[in-house]
Amino acid sequence: MKKKFSMEKYSRIFILLLFIIVLTVIRPKSFPTVNNISNVLWSISVVGILVSGSIFVMLLGGIDLSVGSLMGLSAVVTVITIRNYDYSNKGVILGITLALFVGIAAGALHGFLVMTFHVPAFLVTFATQSIYLGISMVLTNNKILSCLEPKLFTSIGLGRIGPFTFPIYFMILIALLSFFILNKTVLGRHIYAVGGNPEASRISGISVKKITLISYITSGLTAAIGGIVLASMTQQGMASTGSGYDTEVITAAVIGGVSLVGGAGTIQGAIVGAMLVGLLNNGMNLMNVPSTNQGLVKGLVIICAVALDIMQKNEKKVHLPFSKKKKAGGNV
Amino acid sequence: MNQEIILEACDINKSFSGVQVLNQVHLDIRKGEVHALMGENGAGKSTLIKIITGAYTKDSGRIFWKGQEVEINSLKDCQGLGMACIYQELSVIPALTVAQNIYLGREPKKGKTGLIDYKKMNRMAQELIDRYEFPLKATDIVDSLGIGLRQLVEILKGLSCNSELLIMDEPTASLSGKEASILFRIIDALRRQEVSIIYISHRLEEVYMLSDRLTILRDGKNAAVLEKEEIIPKDVIQTMIGKVVDESAGSRKTLTRNTNEVVLKVEGLTRKGFFENVNFEVRQGEILGFGGLIGAGRTEVMRCLYGADKYQSGKIWIEGKEYVPTSTRKSIAFGFGFVPEDRRGQGFIPLLSTNRNTALTNYDIIRQTAFSISSKEELEMCKKIIEKIDIRPADPEKQVGLMSGGNQQKVVIGKWLMRELKILIVDEPTAGIDVGAKDEIYHILEELAAKGVIVILVSSDLQELVRVSHRILVMRKGKIVKELAEGTVTQADILEAASGIENQEEVAG
Repeated sequence: MKKKFSMEKYSRIFILLLFIIVLTVIRPKSFPTVNNISNVLWSISVVGILVSGSIFVMLLGGIDLSVGSLMGLSAVVTVITIRNYDYSNKGVILGITLALFVGIAAGALHGFLVMTFHVPAFLVTFATQSIYLGISMVLTNNKILSCLEPKLFTSIGLGRIGPFTFPIYFMILIALLSFFILNKTVLGRHIYAVGGNPEASRISGISVKKITLISYITSGLTAAIGGIVLASMTQQGMASTGSGYDTEVITAAVIGGVSLVGGAGTIQGAIVGAMLVGLLNNGMNLMNVPSTNQGLVKGLVIICAVALDIMQKNEKKVHLPFSKKKKAGGNV
Repeated sequence: MNQEIILEACDINKSFSGVQVLNQVHLDIRKGEVHALMGENGAGKSTLIKIITGAYTKDSGRIFWKGQEVEINSLKDCQGLGMACIYQELSVIPALTVAQNIYLGREPKKGKTGLIDYKKMNRMAQELIDRYEFPLKATDIVDSLGIGLRQLVEILKGLSCNSELLIMDEPTASLSGKEASILFRIIDALRRQEVSIIYISHRLEEVYMLSDRLTILRDGKNAAVLEKEEIIPKDVIQTMIGKVVDESAGSRKTLTRNTNEVVLKVEGLTRKGFFENVNFEVRQGEILGFGGLIGAGRTEVMRCLYGADKYQSGKIWIEGKEYVPTSTRKSIAFGFGFVPEDRRGQGFIPLLSTNRNTALTNYDIIRQTAFSISSKEELEMCKKIIEKIDIRPADPEKQVGLMSGGNQQKVVIGKWLMRELKILIVDEPTAGIDVGAKDEIYHILEELAAKGVIVILVSSDLQELVRVSHRILVMRKGKIVKELAEGTVTQADILEAASGIENQEEVAG
């Protein structure tokens, strides 16, 4: 059996390198600086944190659309608690704990609804998205709550070690943890199995319910962490603070090769996907592409990336029993 | 016999990434003949058919249709000529009616409005159904039909195009004896109407019974083309696999009672609507066969016993203690193994590698340190399994979805072999698998039984049941109707009990 070089496996790294080379060549003064690189990484750090958890749900063939508004709720809960405790360190710890708990509870709710009533994940999280946004608005009276103190809080998003800010380290840590779970633990093996064929997994003694629940909780938890980091970065709590992040996460994952029907994809791929999006944004800024045109370019790039990916997969002629398979995670 | 040749494929070559799958293959089909195409899995049958139907492009070679050379680049080209392919994997749409499925994409329209004329469509479909006496109605929703009847819809679809050549790939693989005999009647009728049929099947007895001629492929080459009178079962098998298999061993056998201690005892097991009051016991090292037609409730009993489904009442005793199968996980930990009937849907994870698939049931015995799996041990285990039952390709990283049916099944069985099994339930373990792999699977089962494991074999393949089982229970309509435990047992005995009608079902393979 000769080992064949898998183009598919490394194609994203090639594209990433290509991006970097092209940008270095056309913007030699502004692109390859420590400052700029640090900026790019900082800009994707929250997406990187989010996708590290959301990928669990996507691997099951589900989707979490509530990520953005859950981030908002988590930010609002954190900031309100800190303000109520008079900007004390105690308030920070309590606020963060509360926000994490909210994330876990929301994830558990998603998992429960998807599992018990077989509601598609798309619908469940679409509905809860609106609910979380509503709760945040009620809590803040739809105002922006600023929070400039204490240092313990603001340094989460703005503190730095060397040239890089803390969120970059958080992203690396959480992505590594996600990598470890997905690749080295029984839980990870089970997630890929359930995503690939839930019925065969159940016959093989895997509790599909448990795996589904854990995956949605993980997604909720990383959304909460993302919300806390974002609140600290912006030094404020606002209901709509995470708006748009749900699609950013899906974009990063899809560009990174995560299958939306489940069973295939890696966290390293998703992180590379996030980097590609970050570099694209950065490149457009450096080349003075007007922000009005950036959305258009981004959309086209996403379509190309996904089309390329699907063409590659079709070439391999993998026959999958999509029609016969009942998705535990809920279809998109 | 009409000697006019309707389809001729000459010197077909095809290779995939450097591996020659078809080498100068020749196939000719006469008008109105049933032409069987045989060969082990991987012999090139499917590839040849896919080239004829336009799914693959040939590397070289020529295809003639009624004497004219043709280029077939798509399924549409192939249908345009007058060929229809009935697929092994069903492509009917469950939510639609029988008639809607038959005329999918070419529905009769009402005048120029473009609206579908359902009345006409149903009438046309019903006429077709009546002509061949299918046990169907044009207005039946396909979802409400059993898997066997769905296949008949597929065949109707092919017939409805007035095709002159039907390609049937394993048509009886999922049919009950009764459904199969209907199919055989239809094939006969088609032959009389001068429709040619390419018939691919692993069930040798069907092929002998039905075919006018036989082409055998081996390793991508023509091994033989035989006229009806030249078809001698033993020779055919030998030509196919290149080794001698004692075929007659499967037709009858003398059974003796196993007197070991009873390990598994099932009392009054009932799941309403599926089976009721099922009682049986199995002794140590016994291979207990379950015969019956599809839908007799055998699969459902096994799923309940294993903990995959819930039952309403009844008791299960294992080694003298009551056992309540609350989950598959519990059953696995207790010493159960289960090879499900629906291999693709329930047996394995197609996207994952052999390694990940065989490890799936074994994480309780693979060493873990600080939550982290020992990948090395996982891989070692997979290699052991691959070697033990000769999974091909012997590459632990090969994606199982891309392997052949026989090897996929070996992966499904393989994941149980590293465990301390008490009871192994195998449901239709050799459906759609070539003769060589079948033999290997029988040996695995026999070896396990010799070690004291209880093996419960559910099978619709009578030859297999007689050959492998130490004792046979026959189910009909959710009840155990017969036990064959002593003396000489033949395939006919099982069939009689299974169908409840004596001597009427002899044709069923």
